[in-house]
Amino acid sequence: MTTTAPPPATADPAELPAVDRPDAAPRTTLRTLWRRWRWRLVAVLAVLVVGAMVAGIPTSSSSGPLDPRSGDPSGTRAVDQILRNTYGVTSRTATTESELAAALRADDTTLVLTFPAELTEQEITRLAAIPRGANSRLVLLDPDHSALNAFAPGVSGASYVPESAVVAPACTLPEAANAGAAELGGESYHLGAHDVGCYPDADGRHSVLSRTTDSRQVIVLGSRRMFTNERLDHEGNAALAFGLLGAHHQLVWQLPDHAVATPDAPHDKTIGDLVPAGWSWGALQLLFAALLAVVWRARRLGPVLSERLPAVVRASETTEGRARLYHRANARGHAAETLRHAARRRTATALGLPHTSGDPDPAALTEAAAARLGRPSADLQQLLYGPAPSDDAALLRLADDLDDMEWQVRQP
Amino acid sequence: MALTGRTALIAALGALLVGLVLPSWTGIGVVMLPLLAAIVADLVLAAPVRRLTLERSGDPSVRLGEAVTVDLLVGNPSRRPLRARIRDAWYPSAWAPGTSLTASRHSVTVPAGERRRITTRLAPTRRGDHRSGRVTVRSLGPLGLAGRQAGLDAPWRVRALPPFASRKHLPSRLARLRELDGRTSVLTRGQGTEFDSLREYLPGDDVRSIDWRASARRSVVAVRTWRPERDRHVLVVLDTGRTSAGRVGDAPRLDAALDAALLLTALATKAGDRVDLLAHDRQRRAAVAGRSPSEILPAFTDAMALLEPALIETDLRAMVSTALRMAPHRSLIVLLTGLDAHQIEDGLLPQLPLLVKRHEVVLASVADPRLDELVNTPRTTVRDVYGTAAAEQTRADRRRTAELLTRHGITVLDAPPESIAPALADTYLTLKAAGRL
Repeated sequence: MTTTAPPPATADPAELPAVDRPDAAPRTTLRTLWRRWRWRLVAVLAVLVVGAMVAGIPTSSSSGPLDPRSGDPSGTRAVDQILRNTYGVTSRTATTESELAAALRADDTTLVLTFPAELTEQEITRLAAIPRGANSRLVLLDPDHSALNAFAPGVSGASYVPESAVVAPACTLPEAANAGAAELGGESYHLGAHDVGCYPDADGRHSVLSRTTDSRQVIVLGSRRMFTNERLDHEGNAALAFGLLGAHHQLVWQLPDHAVATPDAPHDKTIGDLVPAGWSWGALQLLFAALLAVVWRARRLGPVLSERLPAVVRASETTEGRARLYHRANARGHAAETLRHAARRRTATALGLPHTSGDPDPAALTEAAAARLGRPSADLQQLLYGPAPSDDAALLRLADDLDDMEWQVRQP
Repeated sequence: MALTGRTALIAALGALLVGLVLPSWTGIGVVMLPLLAAIVADLVLAAPVRRLTLERSGDPSVRLGEAVTVDLLVGNPSRRPLRARIRDAWYPSAWAPGTSLTASRHSVTVPAGERRRITTRLAPTRRGDHRSGRVTVRSLGPLGLAGRQAGLDAPWRVRALPPFASRKHLPSRLARLRELDGRTSVLTRGQGTEFDSLREYLPGDDVRSIDWRASARRSVVAVRTWRPERDRHVLVVLDTGRTSAGRVGDAPRLDAALDAALLLTALATKAGDRVDLLAHDRQRRAAVAGRSPSEILPAFTDAMALLEPALIETDLRAMVSTALRMAPHRSLIVLLTGLDAHQIEDGLLPQLPLLVKRHEVVLASVADPRLDELVNTPRTTVRDVYGTAAAEQTRADRRRTAELLTRHGITVLDAPPESIAPALADTYLTLKAAGRL
């Protein structure tokens, strides 16, 4: 009885909800609101600041738009996988200028310049001067002015149609004719002299144009939309994409990488580079502040008091220890005899038999119990005075049987 | 010397100044030097701690489980005002659980030459004397940046008395005592009852108590009333040895025994008997004898407050001989001890003839409810069966010892802690009604 209920805590009244203090209920002023919410506000602000800092750190995300490895809505994994598995096309990616150049030189190859605008003017000039491999196709997606000039001179960008526009092919290019109407909005072009134009708009400008010199083909598309995972299954997009990209055995995707493709760009900065130089002095000052805080916290308000407490031993410790000893020694016989002894005593009491000096008379007890329960007395003889159980299961059973017998004897 | 969080905060805010305006040693100096100067000024201007006067007052004792307040009067004889954090330190068991940190700290402002009172609330969790530690005072300067700190002595003691939780049983036992006392018409006649007075017969009275001789002298039928004997001697003997240290439920056995002794004492005092107390293990720990009825309970609780179970074997021979010396005439001797077979057989049995020849002896022992729990829990593993068997063995041993003592004419009580006190009181009433005191 040494533990007692703690007295009601004397909490700061401002921390209590207003309903607990009827007299103070109307006084939920701005000040109390501020006191109640300030720490939560600080916590929210801290989370926002840290979040903004994390968001500001440049990430080197691996999957951009039109990445053939990306399953995002803007990726092109779907078309790439189908070309590989169904059309038997081998595809790879090219990032650097030399990789692109190799792809241009290769025979039987389709090169997709997904983002021609990511290449510098010099790179485009150098790439355009490369003698192209036989049986090859170069697909330009939404090229800018310089790329158009370099790879398809004579073609000029004209106008812009919403990308979701569905257009009919209306041309002889077999891929387009097979595919039928597709989502080909975006940029549209005035054709050069020998070009085949497809998907015209109302003013006679074309969203797709094809120029063939020998077996080397250049195809210009005004839109990237139809290749993406998200739109591939709409209209004739898929058929057109497979037709355009699956014509040759090799397929090379241009994969722009800002860091590598544009070596002139500044390197990624660590957060330390972004901090102004003066703040290292600020950090030193913070160190001094921390030292002062250590001195503040280190000084205790008086010494720790330790107390000699009385020893605490559970009274049942010896009994439980004895139980463990029985268990370790597998003292089934002893345990059974103890249980039987107790059961005999209680049964005798319940039946009104005398049990002087501990144990009642065996014959009288079995007879009386048998009469009460209507069971054969040999049965009870076996239960109350039988041999020691041979295994643990038998001991458990004996204990349960004794319990049942006692319970039945006590029933009126 | 001690700093405050404010100092560290100012230094941390100074980092903004250093980082934005003056990123150099100059900037750090601009922040730190004035701060250090302010700290020194604060230390100089803080009120001196060692000249403070401390005075204690408050309750010297409390029942275990109740709260008590102790006042500390802080006097500031200096000419500077004192702004201080004060820790009134007490040993851990003096506090209500979990409050030691908050309840011991006080913030106080004492103007120059005045005194202020601070109140500390204690709720001891342990019986016995609780002493205060040193009072630590941290006197802050006017800027609140730094302060002087020192420990001062202001000793005080709060004695936690036994809770006497069984006093709720007292009214019903007193009612039964009054029934015995001849004040009501229900009478129990025994060989030890004393003739009290004659009164008129009322329907319901036992016809055997009609005094025919007296009725013949009067015109009405008179009955004799009886009252139980008074002015008997009761000696309560507490065993504070090893067996009393075992925890039963939440508290040691000794606490339950103290509770039972207090209920018996209160009851017997009301019944007009004299009660003495002896606490003994290997030697005498406490003895209270010959107190007047009005002061007996306070004297007992005071003596009991300091009793602690000792982890040594009780010397029952010495205990019995001390008890015999304290009870020269016929008494009711109540032994509150264990029922360990070997201890009883070695220590008590040889002394029994002496004890029983002259005195009525009751032996009360606190049983462990955990044994019943072991027996009655559903058994699923063989480990449980062994637990049951061990518990049955312990119970059988205790019962055998109890039967042995009963054969020697001792009344034996073996009851769990919550019912030992009422059981002992009932035994006392039964003995009194039977006139065996």
